[in-house]
Amino acid sequence: MSDLTTSEKLIIEPTFTTPEIKFDPQARHFFIGGNSYPENSLKFYGPVLQWVQNWSERHVPIPEPIVVEVRLEYFNTSTAKVLLDLFRLFEVLHEKGQALQIRWIYLEEDTEMEDAGLDYQAAVRVPFELVPVNE
Amino acid sequence: MNVSYDSRLLFRHEGPLDMEVLPLLVHNLEGILQREGARPPLRRKVVTCLIELAQNIIHYAVHKENYPPLLMVSRRNDKGFILLTRNLVHYSQELFLQNYLHNLTQMPRAELENLHYSTLTEGSYSDSGGAGLGLIQVLFKADQFEYEFVPADGEYSWFSVKATFLS
Repeated sequence: MSDLTTSEKLIIEPTFTTPEIKFDPQARHFFIGGNSYPENSLKFYGPVLQWVQNWSERHVPIPEPIVVEVRLEYFNTSTAKVLLDLFRLFEVLHEKGQALQIRWIYLEEDTEMEDAGLDYQAAVRVPFELVPVNE
Repeated sequence: MNVSYDSRLLFRHEGPLDMEVLPLLVHNLEGILQREGARPPLRRKVVTCLIELAQNIIHYAVHKENYPPLLMVSRRNDKGFILLTRNLVHYSQELFLQNYLHNLTQMPRAELENLHYSTLTEGSYSDSGGAGLGLIQVLFKADQFEYEFVPADGEYSWFSVKATFLS
């Protein structure tokens, strides 16, 4: 993943233990979905965080909102922590004047995922929507 | 540590455990719990706690031939599921875990919740990328939590965790 920090899009294919990542600034759409319990979350997400950091430093706020969608199945606690670091990078972007929304998508009856979303909603100062879905 | 006779064994893995094996176990357990009719929140609790405990074993347990780790899930009548793990630890790890788990299990729920939230939002990462949240999460999610150490061989002990999740 050495060239991630200079590419315009960030696309990582999913594995059994790592999520699909599609960050497309031109489409103003950032997506993380699937399972996330890598052996070392920092090792997996470190370049991802660095990519977002580099991109956001270059980014000039635009009127159109950026949407960050997260739809995870199973994720471990170290992923939970890295996600917060990621959301905080988006928080900085939002503080710079970029309209932005994080959408936490979860199965409607999955109250565990709803609770996890509520924790993030309380921890970051950025519009954070909980989005229950049926399937 | 035993799982009582009125429970039914659903899943058992005793043998090498690594990040190649774990996704297969997760997939198997997910299917078993679905067939057992466990609703998504309960399934999520059991599977995510299995992932946390298994990754603790992968990262921290002593791996010795003839002392393989064990992961087990049983049905507890119609009232939920029991997750049991067992792995070898060194005496020095036992001392740390005894103290750590003694403190965690004495905490009122609200305090445990605060610890979970503050570790999530303010804690640091370990060298292996861990967030220090694994056992806190299991205690937080389980309706009952027990642990024990049993002498195994010289300076090593079996460390067992039993977490019960009610429907």
